[in-house]
Amino acid sequence: MSSPAKQSGASKNTPSPSTSFNTLTSLLADIAPAIHEVQDSPYTLSNARYAALRHVLHDVGGQPDLPVEYKEKVEEAWEMNTYVTCECLGWRGAWNSEMRRRAENDLGATLYFGLPYYARWITVATKTLIDKGLITPDELSAKIDAVRTRLSEERS
Amino acid sequence: MTKYQIGDRVTVKDATSLFHTRTQAFVRGHTGVVVEYRPEWVIPEDEAWDRLENGRTEPFYVVRFLQTDLWDPYTGFDVDTLETECSERWLAPAKDEA
Repeated sequence: MSSPAKQSGASKNTPSPSTSFNTLTSLLADIAPAIHEVQDSPYTLSNARYAALRHVLHDVGGQPDLPVEYKEKVEEAWEMNTYVTCECLGWRGAWNSEMRRRAENDLGATLYFGLPYYARWITVATKTLIDKGLITPDELSAKIDAVRTRLSEERS
Repeated sequence: MTKYQIGDRVTVKDATSLFHTRTQAFVRGHTGVVVEYRPEWVIPEDEAWDRLENGRTEPFYVVRFLQTDLWDPYTGFDVDTLETECSERWLAPAKDEA
């Protein structure tokens, strides 16, 4: 049973249900794919629409898009760790670079364009290891939760 | 023995490539010139599905395109070129061969 003092403390830091719903709604709206016609598993599909849908995600060269700001950016430690980890997995025969690129496409547009470059690498590395039975999804989830807990404790 | 020789004009096929491709959309249907051979290698259609050891191998070619052929409008110099690599199955003899 929690004390009244604890409850008031929690209400100070925890957003009310309506606030968190609004936050969640706007967060989802921000990351929803920019589709201007509702795509809700349609019964029919035009050839033109299918031609657009079957275009492979990673083939971005020459595709219409808005200008992107050019940034001089150095790799961070986690990015290089990801790179080395993925290369070692290749060296040990777990996968190759083409498998990685194909697996990145398999993420779908929201995750493919939503994740940072090396986050895409590490995400599909874990998925490939699961696909091959080298790790299990619950092992991976438990590890992610352990790291999340550790980091949130370090930051609080 | 390779099907195409250096200097041959080739057109990149615009074939369906579900899930993965190494043949960029911007060269498909365009004609260029074979300028270099690459060693035979496992085609991406097999390598991407974990068949590096037992996949189908094919010659690869470096194909050179005029930038003005690829982009409309192209605002650079008329002599500008772009080179990319294709496996043999993605190429066809150019029809405009006189």
